[in-house]
Amino acid sequence: MTDGGLLVRGLRVPFGAAPGLENITFAVAPGERLALVGASGAGKTSLLRAVAGLGPGRADELRVDGRDIATMPPERRGIVYLHQTPLLFPHLSVAENIAFPLRVRRAGAAEVAGAVREVMHALRLDGLAERRVQALSGGQRHRAALARAIVARPPVLLLDEPFASLDPVLRHEVREAVRAAQASYRPAVVLVTHDLDEAGTLADRIGVLLGGRLAQVGPPGEIFASPRTLAVARFLGLSNEVPGTITADGRFTSPLGVLPLRTPLPPGPGIAVFATRALRLDGGGTLAARMVELRHRVQQTTVIVALGDLGLEAAVHEAVPAAPGGEVRLSLSGEEVSVFPHTVGG
Amino acid sequence: MSAGLRAVRLGTFVVVAVSAMAPFTLLALWSVGGDWFYPALLPRSFTGRWWGDLLQDGRLLSAAATSLMLGAGTGILTCAAGLPVGQALSQASGWRRHAGAAMAFLPVAAPPIALAAGVQYSFLRLGLGGTLTGVLLAHAIPAIGYGSLFFLGVFEVFDRRVEDEARSLGASPRQVLVRVLLPLLRRPLADAFLLGFLVSWSQVPLTLLIGGGPVRTLPIEVFSLVRAGQDPAAATGALIMLIPALAALAATRLGAARTEVVAL
Repeated sequence: MTDGGLLVRGLRVPFGAAPGLENITFAVAPGERLALVGASGAGKTSLLRAVAGLGPGRADELRVDGRDIATMPPERRGIVYLHQTPLLFPHLSVAENIAFPLRVRRAGAAEVAGAVREVMHALRLDGLAERRVQALSGGQRHRAALARAIVARPPVLLLDEPFASLDPVLRHEVREAVRAAQASYRPAVVLVTHDLDEAGTLADRIGVLLGGRLAQVGPPGEIFASPRTLAVARFLGLSNEVPGTITADGRFTSPLGVLPLRTPLPPGPGIAVFATRALRLDGGGTLAARMVELRHRVQQTTVIVALGDLGLEAAVHEAVPAAPGGEVRLSLSGEEVSVFPHTVGG
Repeated sequence: MSAGLRAVRLGTFVVVAVSAMAPFTLLALWSVGGDWFYPALLPRSFTGRWWGDLLQDGRLLSAAATSLMLGAGTGILTCAAGLPVGQALSQASGWRRHAGAAMAFLPVAAPPIALAAGVQYSFLRLGLGGTLTGVLLAHAIPAIGYGSLFFLGVFEVFDRRVEDEARSLGASPRQVLVRVLLPLLRRPLADAFLLGFLVSWSQVPLTLLIGGGPVRTLPIEVFSLVRAGQDPAAATGALIMLIPALAALAATRLGAARTEVVAL
């Protein structure tokens, strides 16, 4: 990477007596958004707090815009850490809250006024300068907290679950505010979320935190299409798993048929993992299964089918030709299937 | 609720109200009573003589000024020491927290005369006996105990993420204290000041044993008047002693109505 942005190398974060985070390494360029995803308790927040200097953690290397910040106090790191709930100071007005980072840097009055006005306009907070923060709506609070975070233009923004517990309308509003904030001066952004859709929508790259390690980092398309391990695939919610055998000639045989492997794997037991969208109800499909149940979701309708002893979930893009118990035909997109070596019980 | 239970509750309330108000009503009557001898229920005449004597008697006024000074000083020390100790206790865990809270509680729980006797020995050796500074420091011992426990309670509900937020936004620890914590803790600080003031204002054993003769506070003077049988003068002095307590009650009531959000 270039000297700009955030570089974290070999970060270790203790979790008391429990195993903590080990050897976390990643870099985020200026203007880039990295989403860290992981299960609850995976240590996402602890990781952000350690990088911000607000929680325990030791790194082999921690740099912001090329500066070594590993031993610096939080206020000198050039990193702003934004809590999930906007923590505006209740004794200050909206404008005074936003001006806070500039005032503690002893910026001149004219500079403060100009910067506050500019950022309030960018985040659609015009007219709220003198308002008490207790009188703001939920969306306004989030935008005011974001405005305060970016007014001093920190090179790195850490956003901890910025969209959690927001209703869909507010979620959209805050997401757009994050985009606007980043567009204003291109900081490196690391955001923590447990919502994979959110991560895929907003981030340039996704990092999957599993078992105390960063299991995979890459663009959303790559992560979703090619999970590196079975644990990552399971975390990503690739709900269909089919056991089979990896053969010496680079194929995978299973009730799905014979699939060519995308990467060489040692012969032996294996497991194929794929998302619902890879298996679709298709009158001309080669796989025959028994329909079990139809499921309707906002974005997609799916069907649960039985393929021998296996229960699988398939996408529905056409009229369902059978009632539960009837036979349906399926087609599988082999490119979207990931195969991993698998031991019994593993 | 049955009529019988209602009557019991009303009766209990009346008993509590009378027992709370009777001593102060008697003091008020005494302070303006001309001739009042047993078995008369009320004074036979009323006079402003005792209040006039009080205003002309430099001794009581000087004692009141000394008490005010000591109370203000104790209030300031209660805030200055109680806030960091309470904050540190709220952040501690395990045996450190238990030991710290026990140490803060000890001077509060100990009988005042036992505390005074213990403090007297060391203060006299330090040359603080009979001095205003000695009495101030002695008053501060139980007051800081109260203050530490008070601030421990405050910080238990205070959202410490506010401090993290301020640090992350570029504020140094000192700026966090001055620009965020102190403004947010304005009301608890005022309450702690009043607490310390009142502990000092009504203190007798510590003042007697550490102050000896030279340091004369209002409670000491009132105590002397009571022992000398000068009931109307003692009642007048005692009424003056009530003023800060009533003011503190009023301030606390007003403060409760205007309390800022501390736990965010």
